[in-house]
Amino acid sequence: MKELKEQLINRIKAHFPDITVENNFNYNRFDVSINKESIHSILFYLKDVMGFKHLSDTNCVDWLEEGEFEIVFIVWSPAEKIKIFVRTRIDRNNPVLETLDMIWPQLHTYEREFREMFGIQFTGLEAPDEFILEDWQGPPPYRRDFDTAAFAAETFFERPGREDAEDVREAITKLTGEEIPEFAKKYSR
Amino acid sequence: MREKETTLYIGPQHPGITGNMMVRLKVTGDTIVKATTEVGYLHRAFEKLQEQRNWLQCFTLMCRFCVPEPDPAEESYARAVELLEGREVPERAKYIRVLVLELARLGAYMLWYGGQNGSLGLYTVGQWSVGDRNYILDLFEELTGGRVYHMYIWPGGVRRDLPKGFEEKVLRTMDYLENRLKDYDDLMFDNTIFQKRTQGIGIVSKEKAIEWGVVGPVLRGCGIKSDIRIDDPYEVYDRLDFEVPTQEGGDIWARALVRRQEVRQSIRIIRQVIEQMPSGEYYNRIPNPQKWALPKGDAYARTESVRGEVGMYIASDGGTKPRRTHFRGAAYVHGVTLLEKVLVGANISDVSPIMNSLGVCPPEIER
Amino acid sequence: MINDKNSQKIVDIIQNWARQHSIWVLAYGTGCGAIELPPTMTSRYDAERLGVRGAATPRQADVLLITGYLTTKTLKRVIRVYEQMQDPKYVVGFGSCTINGGMYYDSYNTIKVLDKYLPVDVYINGCMPRPEAVLSGFAKLQERIAEGRAEGAKKYKENLEWYRANQKKIIPNWVMPDYNW
Repeated sequence: MKELKEQLINRIKAHFPDITVENNFNYNRFDVSINKESIHSILFYLKDVMGFKHLSDTNCVDWLEEGEFEIVFIVWSPAEKIKIFVRTRIDRNNPVLETLDMIWPQLHTYEREFREMFGIQFTGLEAPDEFILEDWQGPPPYRRDFDTAAFAAETFFERPGREDAEDVREAITKLTGEEIPEFAKKYSR
Repeated sequence: MREKETTLYIGPQHPGITGNMMVRLKVTGDTIVKATTEVGYLHRAFEKLQEQRNWLQCFTLMCRFCVPEPDPAEESYARAVELLEGREVPERAKYIRVLVLELARLGAYMLWYGGQNGSLGLYTVGQWSVGDRNYILDLFEELTGGRVYHMYIWPGGVRRDLPKGFEEKVLRTMDYLENRLKDYDDLMFDNTIFQKRTQGIGIVSKEKAIEWGVVGPVLRGCGIKSDIRIDDPYEVYDRLDFEVPTQEGGDIWARALVRRQEVRQSIRIIRQVIEQMPSGEYYNRIPNPQKWALPKGDAYARTESVRGEVGMYIASDGGTKPRRTHFRGAAYVHGVTLLEKVLVGANISDVSPIMNSLGVCPPEIER
Repeated sequence: MINDKNSQKIVDIIQNWARQHSIWVLAYGTGCGAIELPPTMTSRYDAERLGVRGAATPRQADVLLITGYLTTKTLKRVIRVYEQMQDPKYVVGFGSCTINGGMYYDSYNTIKVLDKYLPVDVYINGCMPRPEAVLSGFAKLQERIAEGRAEGAKKYKENLEWYRANQKKIIPNWVMPDYNW
């Protein structure tokens, strides 16, 4: 498998000299990092020329401290049985990327989700604004700086917990007069 | 005369839909011209919640991704964490995992029998198969303590060992189910109504299938042999002897035949697993979960479920909590882009059978 | 028509007796709890012997089962469905998520306490509730109907403004018809 991976990396490098490759995994995977301008051409090249036909997954990771979004495309070749992680980074304050849904139609769905959840703008993406959320007025919720617990506490009612710290089993016994079996007593508080 | 175009909403409250989602149809007469999926009714923001929890707490959320078959998500997460950390899994745990995954697959297929036939108005198969599914859930209950949510496969192995006499019970249940499958065949595949309502309907094209992201039984129903258990083998599937059934045609009928074969293959795998089950440890203990940090990096592990490939992507920044997790469900592609394509030209009454046959599971789409 | 207090009482008893034996559940799986309904309805547990069976449309249904967590997007549809249902109608909260938010207590998209938005007659706890628990919940509902204590719909009509205020707080874009029961 090692030789196959080397061979594939050399083929990609011949066309895209400015990529960074990470190949220290002991299973069928290697990583390729590329700038956002070349992401279209490398994905097209992998899909149409090298046979990485199956898009397994697409992800967006919010690196808040570095001020960047990392977008990861995981492509799989049914013939070579190798998966490649294609990574690109975009600026977090101005997250714009050209739409990629002409390469794989399912990227259309992923892009709609990223637009809604991370606020990444895809130029040329033709779809309604709302995908999962409805009437959402806050910031894009999957960004790291959005605090979901605080939002939930502020927006929704909460049922107050009991303060007596009473054992449920004993409470039921008191109500119904049921005996606690011997083996269950050690679990009582 | 040109017929008027009407908009028709199927769902979210509709008995024929496979979960809480909506399909907006543009129809002329009875024929669908355009279909749009609308999802988001089940969005619980798992990926956000997992950022708030540590690596072990995340594991309890995993099974809630897809309810009919929760174990592949657990398996994917456990394996992704093990890949990232380099943690070894004991041999016995690997076999137990395969046993649990295949039992879950059988259970989900039993539910599919009910759903696929119920969508065509044949309720008897559903009464039988969903009733028979309880025998599998009984096994799960004895093994894990839960009927539906198991929370059993976790990083490092499985949560507890097989109970005494569990193997015999599994084998007895398998014998019973294998006998029952003949009854299902009589009622379902020999039934003229079932044949007429499924043959030539909901066709997925073979040429474009891989590019469209079609996976699992739907892809095998197009005649393409593809199965994660063979292509990218995990756990001990490379040591087991089983076949991957394929069928030409790409319609509902072909997919039903593929699934019919897979039920038998699952039973075959379970019998082999029980035969080869080694003794030994079942769990490689993880450190204190409060202080358990994973190295910086990311990993992606995928598993074959009844709907096809499901995968879990995790990214760590070196801390005790995930930086990002992402669950890739088969329905993410099947339920949105593929369903919108397949429904065009179909009849209104075929919407529900097509959705059942593509394995559209809305909690996987919006998570 | 019946002004006499005692006759009204007899009519109520007969009505409640009839109602408790035909509980038609609306087929709307709002959350993951819907997975335990097929086993409850099919051969092993067979809820139909208690008079519990599915109904396809809100107009024919008596019980709205809220199976688990409710996202704000679904809540809007659920309110609409509930208001379309005709009397007598009952709401059953199914699963821990309807009681206190359950596993999703800190999620930004799910409500935590169902009875602030809809009048709940019976809660069934557990994640998931087993089919036995579901049957026990329905038996409890029958008990309450027979005693004439399942008055959620009446409570909803009397306190409509309070419920509406809570509902509108989390559904900003309120475009729904007013149903005249």
